[in-house]
Amino acid sequence: MVKLLNICKKFGFFLLIVFIVLFSLFPFIQMLSTSLKYSWDWGNPSLIPAKINIEAYQELLGLGQKSVDLPESIQNLLDETPDITEQQRDAIIAKYLDTGSVFPFGKYFLNSILFSLSAASVSLLLAVFGAYSISRLKFRGSTLIRRGVLFVYMFGGILLLIPLYKISVALGLAGSEEGSVFALVIIYVVQTLPVSLYMLGNFFRSIPYSIEEAAFVEGCSHMATIRKIIIPLSLAALATVFVYSFMIAWNEYLYASVFLKSYKELFTLPLGLKALFVSKNAIWDRIMAASMLTAIPVVILFMFVQKYLAGNMASGGVKE
Amino acid sequence: MRQSLTLEQKKARLGVQLVLPSVIVIGLLIIYPVAYNMYLSMFKVNLVGSNTFIGAKNYTNIITDITFWQSVLTTFLYVVFSTFGTTLFGLIVALAMNKKFPLRMIVRSIIILPYVAPVIAIVYAWQFFFDPVNGIFIHVVVEMLGLYDQRFNLIGTPEYAIWVAIIFSIWKSFPFTYLMIIARLQTIDTTLYEAAEIDGCSSWKKFLHITFPELYFVLGTLILLRFVWNFNKFEEVYLLTENVKTLPIYTYFKAFTGVMDLGQGSALAVIQFVLLIGLILVYVKKVLKW
Repeated sequence: MVKLLNICKKFGFFLLIVFIVLFSLFPFIQMLSTSLKYSWDWGNPSLIPAKINIEAYQELLGLGQKSVDLPESIQNLLDETPDITEQQRDAIIAKYLDTGSVFPFGKYFLNSILFSLSAASVSLLLAVFGAYSISRLKFRGSTLIRRGVLFVYMFGGILLLIPLYKISVALGLAGSEEGSVFALVIIYVVQTLPVSLYMLGNFFRSIPYSIEEAAFVEGCSHMATIRKIIIPLSLAALATVFVYSFMIAWNEYLYASVFLKSYKELFTLPLGLKALFVSKNAIWDRIMAASMLTAIPVVILFMFVQKYLAGNMASGGVKE
Repeated sequence: MRQSLTLEQKKARLGVQLVLPSVIVIGLLIIYPVAYNMYLSMFKVNLVGSNTFIGAKNYTNIITDITFWQSVLTTFLYVVFSTFGTTLFGLIVALAMNKKFPLRMIVRSIIILPYVAPVIAIVYAWQFFFDPVNGIFIHVVVEMLGLYDQRFNLIGTPEYAIWVAIIFSIWKSFPFTYLMIIARLQTIDTTLYEAAEIDGCSSWKKFLHITFPELYFVLGTLILLRFVWNFNKFEEVYLLTENVKTLPIYTYFKAFTGVMDLGQGSALAVIQFVLLIGLILVYVKKVLKW
């Protein structure tokens, strides 16, 4: 009897674990499955595609043969006008065959990388010095800053969006491409800076002060100990903070949608995906393939720092 | 001759210098805008050119608008249910993951994925799942179980869409809650459980008398954080469905679509912030008893 009860308990536990895993993973499976299906297969509830379709990926990554045929009318027109030059001819054909304009994945990907890399680098740089200061050096106001950084949690994105947009219009930043890029990068920096300060501050405090003292005896300045002791000892924490900031910028939609609205060339992946979804080119396999390609970089990055990130989050320093 | 600084003063000066860039950036881009937002809320704001002072007009316009109160109600429903659901599910997952079982490490990495994936990339999978034509959900409830005799658009109908948004929110945020809880679980002294076992306590009693009291504070804090975050949440709702008009989305539509009324948008943001502060104070007093 007791044995039977035990088996039931074990089985119940097993079901719970299976449920948790399926619940977490299902949307990803759905995404992968649909991205590989032909349109005639979408209505089929099976998650395994009846026939694998990689056209969407090929199209987005610009691989393989062009999937669009030259419309017949254009071909006729070209044949009937012999006096155009070879160059003009090629230009016209290229225009009609260009699938890049549907969803220029490469361009958006590059934009996303640039925004995220610059925001994460600046944030990390400021945070290293700031965190060293609030964790090691005492001065008037240091406690206030240390406690105050997390108060920023309270302000939602929308509360800051209107004044920030108004300010950047007033400063003339929103009127030009460079200005908009600058405004957006600095906004991403400030969105991640409080958490970076907090996480690094906590980490620096865990480094024994005696190591630094030994360096001071040798005649090192504070700046030198940051460079020679603090940074080498906290590479893992620095990587974590960097990846964290990178992910925040990579995933961000709200600010980008307002600041880059009129600059299609500067669209990041989230903006591009949203634009694709509401455009006439919205086809499920293409959307899902684009979603996969947007998600994969952060998932891979996350896998690298997973261990440290989980630990750091648990010590209290993380914002969404 | 200038008196040379003592070592302490030098340290303090360096401290200020190092932290100053961060403080300036945060001050200019967070503190100042919040204040500026309050100022803007009393004006008819023009994107270019000067603003016109209209006093409390923006505020009276808002509170006499029935759609605003509907939005407040939607926000409450969304925030309360998503916070409660996330915390409960996160707790269950944490308790399960705290037990040893085969492949535990792999399972633990898999279940963090929802938290990491970009919202924009994952919402389409959810939309497809509930899609009236192709979605599995409709296929199951209509074709297989026969609960409804017609296919319907779940995400397109506001009354249903809010529940999809709540489940999506739980799915997206439970990993964070789970990580926080499991970190605390692992610090609980195991001898407490051994003692309870000798006394013949059931698993439920052990949870009630040992685990739960130990987790009380961390759960209280997690609920508070989740409440604040979900109250301010924009992307997770807006990108999944524009039919659930919580306050941030309501504000976004007012301020950035149609006739861009930034003044009223600012006023809405202020109201939202005041509401949030009020609710937090009540919560901190009643639940956390600080």
